[in-house]
Amino acid sequence: MRYGKFLSILVIASLFLFAGCSSKPYSGKSITVWHWMTDREPAFNELAKRYEAKTGIKVNFELYAPSDAYSQKVRAAAQGANLPDIFGILGEKRDFSSFIKAGFILNLTPYMLEDNAKWKNSFFSKALAVNEFNDGNSYAVAPGIYGVPIDIMTIQMVYNKSLFKELGFNPNRPPQTFEELLAVGKKLKAANLEGLVSGWGEIWMIDCLANNYAFNIMGKDKVIATIKGEVPYTDADWIKVLSLFKQMQESGLLASGIVTMVNKTAEQLFANEKAVFAFNGSWSVNVYKGMNPKLEYGAFLPPKASDKYPMAIWGGAGSSFMINARSKNKEEAVKFLSWLTETPQQAYLAEATNNLPANKDSINKISDVMASFAKAMDYATHPNVWGVSEFSPVIEAFDKGIQSIIIGEKTPEQVAAEVQKIKERELAKKR
Amino acid sequence: MRSTIYYKAKKTSENIIIHLFMLTVAVTCIFPLLWMVSSSLKTQETIFKDMSIIPKALHFENYYQAWIQGGFGRYFLNSLIYTVAVVIGIIIISSLAAYAFSRLKFPGKNIIFFIFIAAMMIPIQGSFVALYVLLNKLHLRNTPVGYILCMINVGLSTSIFLLKTFFDKMPKELEDAARIDGCSKFGIWWNVALPLAKPVLAVVVVFNALNVWNEFILALLIFDSRPLMPLQVALITFQGEFVTRYPLLMAGLTISIIPILLLYVLMQKYIVKGVTQGAVVG
Repeated sequence: MRYGKFLSILVIASLFLFAGCSSKPYSGKSITVWHWMTDREPAFNELAKRYEAKTGIKVNFELYAPSDAYSQKVRAAAQGANLPDIFGILGEKRDFSSFIKAGFILNLTPYMLEDNAKWKNSFFSKALAVNEFNDGNSYAVAPGIYGVPIDIMTIQMVYNKSLFKELGFNPNRPPQTFEELLAVGKKLKAANLEGLVSGWGEIWMIDCLANNYAFNIMGKDKVIATIKGEVPYTDADWIKVLSLFKQMQESGLLASGIVTMVNKTAEQLFANEKAVFAFNGSWSVNVYKGMNPKLEYGAFLPPKASDKYPMAIWGGAGSSFMINARSKNKEEAVKFLSWLTETPQQAYLAEATNNLPANKDSINKISDVMASFAKAMDYATHPNVWGVSEFSPVIEAFDKGIQSIIIGEKTPEQVAAEVQKIKERELAKKR
Repeated sequence: MRSTIYYKAKKTSENIIIHLFMLTVAVTCIFPLLWMVSSSLKTQETIFKDMSIIPKALHFENYYQAWIQGGFGRYFLNSLIYTVAVVIGIIIISSLAAYAFSRLKFPGKNIIFFIFIAAMMIPIQGSFVALYVLLNKLHLRNTPVGYILCMINVGLSTSIFLLKTFFDKMPKELEDAARIDGCSKFGIWWNVALPLAKPVLAVVVVFNALNVWNEFILALLIFDSRPLMPLQVALITFQGEFVTRYPLLMAGLTISIIPILLLYVLMQKYIVKGVTQGAVVG
């Protein structure tokens, strides 16, 4: 009798307790997400808690870093039919397409188009492009959207406002034209400062800036025509692109040792106020904050070298998640990713991790520097969305050629001729 | 005739040059360790500004934070269990196999031995997918047993090679004497071969312990459950895609090298013997 009374009180108290909580009890369902983003782990776990409280569905974020090991695990898991409900594919679009063709990735187009394409329209269109396969794509993948961008990234120029002021320039007006950029270079020697730092030792960053200027000088169509082999690299416009690097070197704008510089060194130099400019990605906001929280800097598009075409920068989806098409929880996984990419969750992720949100409505809730990186998405492009890709030996010769120009070993004309020779060799092989 | 002073001066100058050279080598070896300890006591901001070995402000709390944030307690225990289990497994299997390759006669002995040696040349990354699928079929994926078996397999070929080289040089008379005393083949291996092979076993222990202690890629592949991961995985927590928390990483690294450093110190005598006795021939 006494126990019965005690039990009744306990049951009533529990009912009150649960009624008082707005969260739903654990439904027994769970979703597993494999990711590689060490710095986003605490934020993901916090969002998982919020999602469980809202829906009763438990989300397990499982971290496998570094990214190389993560990729190996995903590949092995695909072979062993052990892929989780949600995962990411790191690498080229070719790898992505092979996973789709093997039936491992769910086509998200129907979900994206629901409610007048509400989900699709919430993203920066260029962020979605990386996960999209269009009609007649060269990978022979059925057209559709196969991934959800979690964040975006853009690569542009940053400048140190204090040093810029020290050199006698307006700290709120970064260079707008290539001539203005070179003018800063001419003042650097007297001030004993380094100019532009970047990870040009990891040559893809040279390729990135060179492509930006190629788009600006000759336009996208001509760049694509060159990749297709219809325009030679010896064309006057390409020589103009290569000559820009010679001009930058001659003006004193480039930091000493830039051709062998790794990006980590470049980031240290810029964060420690030893360099005025850096060419870096939006991830650098997080890096600079860690190295020097007091650093005053701004982001801007690489200054135009021509008025003929708009400037382009590399950008797009930073990290994306895919859904396992064979998962029994795929519907729940879709709902979770849809929730994760809604404005409040995206704003929280951006604030907690300093990564740019993929949801375009979230950018008014982020810092000025981050917002200027995000706004540059309008100018973003990426080789993955061009539909054609250049031969690797050609890219290597082009980038190494620029390094030779910077160290004064070769002229732009010589490099252009050498690159064209390799291009013709590769085209002949393909035929 | 040259005076004693001349020879003394010559010897002293030779000694100075040799010692200077050795000192340079020693400093080169020790400096990364010093830098690691020094960085573990700095902040994320000062690590890129304060280049001194002894930082102006010592942040010992980095060690506490690394231990807590990295969840070192559990991972440390996991690594310890994996290392001990793998090293014991390797010692037993490789010493038996090496003794058999060295002393017993059986068909295909040389071919099997060369297959083992060839396995040394294959990097483990090359067999990741095959290993994953195999463990999956055996229901050993995401289990400590699966990981331990894989790691034993990784260390076997080199260990067999080292021990066989030693057993080949061991005088046969010792075994004959043991046989006269009534020892079986297994008894000879246990009572004669193994005790004599102590220096080589020390090399095998240190070599494999280091290998298992520092391994994490195979662990990431095999384990899905984080609580089963080894210590090195905890260190990755401090390395972001773009941002690395250096002070915590360095504090974590300092903690993680302590057991291996102790093992080296404890087995130093045997390792030197092992090396000088030709344990690492070839």
